[in-house]
Amino acid sequence: MTDLSAQPRPARSPWETPNPSRAFKVAAASTIPAGITTVLTLVFGIDPAVSVLLIFVPLQVIFAIAVGRNVAGKKGQGDAVLMFTSVFFTVLVAVLLTSLLWSIISQGFSAMSWHFLYQNNVYIDPTTSLEYGGVGHAIVGTVLIVGLTTLVTVPLGILIAVYLIETRDKSRSTVRTLVQAMSGLPSVVSGLFVYSMLIVSGVTTYAGWAGSLALLPLMLPTVARTAEEALRLVPVEIRNGALALGSPAFRAFWQVTLPAARSGIITAIILGIARIIGETAPLLLTTFAAKNTNFNVFGGPISSLPTYLYQYVSNGYDTSTQRAWGAALVILLLVAILFTATRIIAGDRKRPKKKA
Amino acid sequence: MSTSSEPTSHSPVRRTLKAKPFSRADRMFFGVARSASYFSVILIALILVFLFIRATPAFQSQGIGFIFGSNWNTSNPHHIVMQIGPMIWGSLLISVLGIILGVPMALSTAYFIEFMAGKTMARVATLVVDLLAAMPSVVIGLWGLVVFTPVASHWAELLHKALGFIPIFANTSGNFSASPFIAGWIVAVMIVPIITSISREIFSQMDRELINASLALGGSRSSTFFKVVLPTASGGVVGGVLLGLGRALGETVAIYFVLNLIFKVNWFNIIENQGGSVASMILSKFGEASDAEISGLMAAGLVLFVVTLVVNWIAAYIVNKAQPWRKL
Amino acid sequence: MSTRITGTSHLKSENVNVWFGERHVLKDVNITFPANQVTALIGPSGCGKSTFLRTLNRMHELIPGAGFAGKILLDGTDIYDPQMDPVNVRLNIGMVFQKPNPFPTMSIKDNVLSGLRLSGRKTDDASGLLESSLRRASIWNEVKDRLGDAALSLSGGQQQRLCIARALAMNPEVLLMDEPCSALDPGSTRRIEETIVELSESMTIVIVTHNMQQAQRVADETAFFLAEDGNPGGVVEFGNTEDVFNRPVDGRTNDYVNGHFG
Ligand SMILES: Nc1ncnc2c1ncn2[C@@H]1O[C@H](COP(=O)(O)OP(=O)(O)OP(=O)(O)O)[C@@H](O)[C@H]1O
Ligand SMILES: [Mg+2]
Repeated sequence: MTDLSAQPRPARSPWETPNPSRAFKVAAASTIPAGITTVLTLVFGIDPAVSVLLIFVPLQVIFAIAVGRNVAGKKGQGDAVLMFTSVFFTVLVAVLLTSLLWSIISQGFSAMSWHFLYQNNVYIDPTTSLEYGGVGHAIVGTVLIVGLTTLVTVPLGILIAVYLIETRDKSRSTVRTLVQAMSGLPSVVSGLFVYSMLIVSGVTTYAGWAGSLALLPLMLPTVARTAEEALRLVPVEIRNGALALGSPAFRAFWQVTLPAARSGIITAIILGIARIIGETAPLLLTTFAAKNTNFNVFGGPISSLPTYLYQYVSNGYDTSTQRAWGAALVILLLVAILFTATRIIAGDRKRPKKKA
Repeated sequence: MSTSSEPTSHSPVRRTLKAKPFSRADRMFFGVARSASYFSVILIALILVFLFIRATPAFQSQGIGFIFGSNWNTSNPHHIVMQIGPMIWGSLLISVLGIILGVPMALSTAYFIEFMAGKTMARVATLVVDLLAAMPSVVIGLWGLVVFTPVASHWAELLHKALGFIPIFANTSGNFSASPFIAGWIVAVMIVPIITSISREIFSQMDRELINASLALGGSRSSTFFKVVLPTASGGVVGGVLLGLGRALGETVAIYFVLNLIFKVNWFNIIENQGGSVASMILSKFGEASDAEISGLMAAGLVLFVVTLVVNWIAAYIVNKAQPWRKL
Repeated sequence: MSTRITGTSHLKSENVNVWFGERHVLKDVNITFPANQVTALIGPSGCGKSTFLRTLNRMHELIPGAGFAGKILLDGTDIYDPQMDPVNVRLNIGMVFQKPNPFPTMSIKDNVLSGLRLSGRKTDDASGLLESSLRRASIWNEVKDRLGDAALSLSGGQQQRLCIARALAMNPEVLLMDEPCSALDPGSTRRIEETIVELSESMTIVIVTHNMQQAQRVADETAFFLAEDGNPGGVVEFGNTEDVFNRPVDGRTNDYVNGHFG
């Protein structure tokens, strides 16, 4: 008799067919080569890189093919190799990225202290011990330079988005294409442009605002494009609802469309900031670096986190490299904060949708 | 009772309606938006024109040798030689190495996250990958210089010992650091999160029905991957790779940290302590550059910009075609 | 607000033709909407009722490539006159859409009063206007204790009545409604129908509906639209609702109102 009662859906995807003896074989296949490799490496003192490539990989491929064939017949062979390749490279990526993150965090923390966050660099040279000095001036500089860029770029980017979405001008596609072209501008070229136009020609000395100007073309495409997407997501019915009430277009935009797109616009701003916060080359060409805290973006060299990092890497002493790691950690934290903020906002954005 | 559509002798003339801003405030609003857009257009045009004007002297004095020659000597102001062939070739070599190393890693990781990992692991991995895609490259450069270079030089040395008879792994200097090999790895680390992110999204948007159907028809996972998953996703993946290439070409500081810039073409000795990169070269030279030299740097920047533009446009075209839901 | 004498304003379409790009969708529509009456527009799907309604307050022109010919006269003035600000037209001719579209970022109260803020007007008695608008849209009792809540927290039917209240707060001379009940349950539909009848004492109402009973319940006049295949749509019959439904002149009207086609 057919059983008509509800069947529980299989918890795994059709990709996986659970099977204990299979699981055992797979476990064996994935541990034995690693074991043999480890033993051989330790006993004969082989270089790990060599043993992974010359012992582990061939062994593991043989084991994978054998088990794959044993478990699933001929078609298991290919699957096993695919699986091994995928896991192998994924582990490689994981090792590299973990090493990257871990270096920044561990090395960065060893340079970290309260005074590192607020002191400046006035009496510091590359070999001064870490008990003195810090990135305070660089944080101030980054906030000022990035802040100034943001202040100019965000309204500009949003207005471009308004132009692209709310008007029917013929030149929209030209504007869109050129804004996209701007995102292909290499950052060092942007810096070189400002350097040559303003600094070589003597319009200004190294200054924060020159740096902001060099960052503008880098940030603008990100903001404009993300804001455009945000505005596009606002349903046309809502816009029309405002217009049908006898609202002029700018009030409809200001009071209805923009608030409805708020989270998308904030995301655009944050993505834009994240895009430029670590930019180094354009600032090296335009703001240079200073040892003191400079609150004036319109006068004189000004330090920022990336240029600080660059400078201390270039010095090449142990303590100076340590300082560079400290700056890297601060940059990482800033990026992580921005990143988390976009995630939270993106989450917020999804919720009301579900409700409606 | 009445029928209202009284017959009319002639239909009135059609006019095309346009939503024109009528009030002063609206005209100002759209006017400001339009000006902002035109400003950005003018800005990009200004950058291009300015670069072009400033680059012209260099192009004129150096001729075609600017791109194909390999010598940079500005010590004699009466006979300045600026040729960036090795830098252009170096940029391409590094980027290609980065892509050769990065693409298998990125595709594997995307495949692992999307088709093999459990839910939680996939979520965490996606998060980390996306975070790393936002990581400033200068930080990667620091890691590359301090942490990765010693390890990779060691690998390079092993490669040289084992396979040194192949020209690619030749090394005459005995110095294995600051090579295109290492720079290529750094580029790979930079672009892996980007390509993974895009490929993963494509995989996740793929039609599961298609995959399941292929499996149900008795296809193995590997044949499904190569015959269904990869062909369907290839457009987006290629676009993502080109996007990564655009990034790699413009990368300045990270490469400057890990590469020895030499004005002699290193065709393919990837573990030799010598290489080139247009962007890094600009950074290394601008400081004490004379006027003529700046013109040369401008020309180099223009070449770099144009190459990046072409790469980006092709990437945008391919990605948009392959992934209509994702706007570049 | 405005000192107008009820009972005199009326709307009239003269030889209205409409195009989407090159596609001619309405041909020579002539309808007079008597003041303080409810006029229903009926007809099979795709015959151009919504399109016609949108031309009545110049919402049609928001669609790219919109083409138009003819005249729409409000109290004798052509609203398509080049000197006319469409914003002013829409202030006098309000509109309720088929799908409820409350402003998602505003509270119930702000939604009702949004028209004032959007048109840059002021009122001395905001709370009075709020209450009267909500009452006229028969939703006051349901929302009076939660005026600060988000508009999206209301049910679909409540949202539709909120949108009606929002339009009423502007006190338009003419109110256009495009299938306002299509997404509603019978109870909400009933209440909105009652609202329409009450409102017609103070304004001219044009309503698009697919519901024959609804047309007969609320409308004084009825216009039957039809687009015969390939041809632009137009009015087949227009007249007193009683007559259109019970004594249609045109055979096609007869077929439609008796459910023989469409
Ligand atoms: N934005 C538009 N662009 C192009 N054609 C359109 C557009 N809107 C409507 N049309 C066309 O115009 C014709 C009339 O459409 P309209 O929406 O006015 O029909 P309707 O009578 O309201 O139908 P329904 O009862 O289904 O709402 C249809 O053929 C439709 O395809
Ligand atoms: Mg309709």
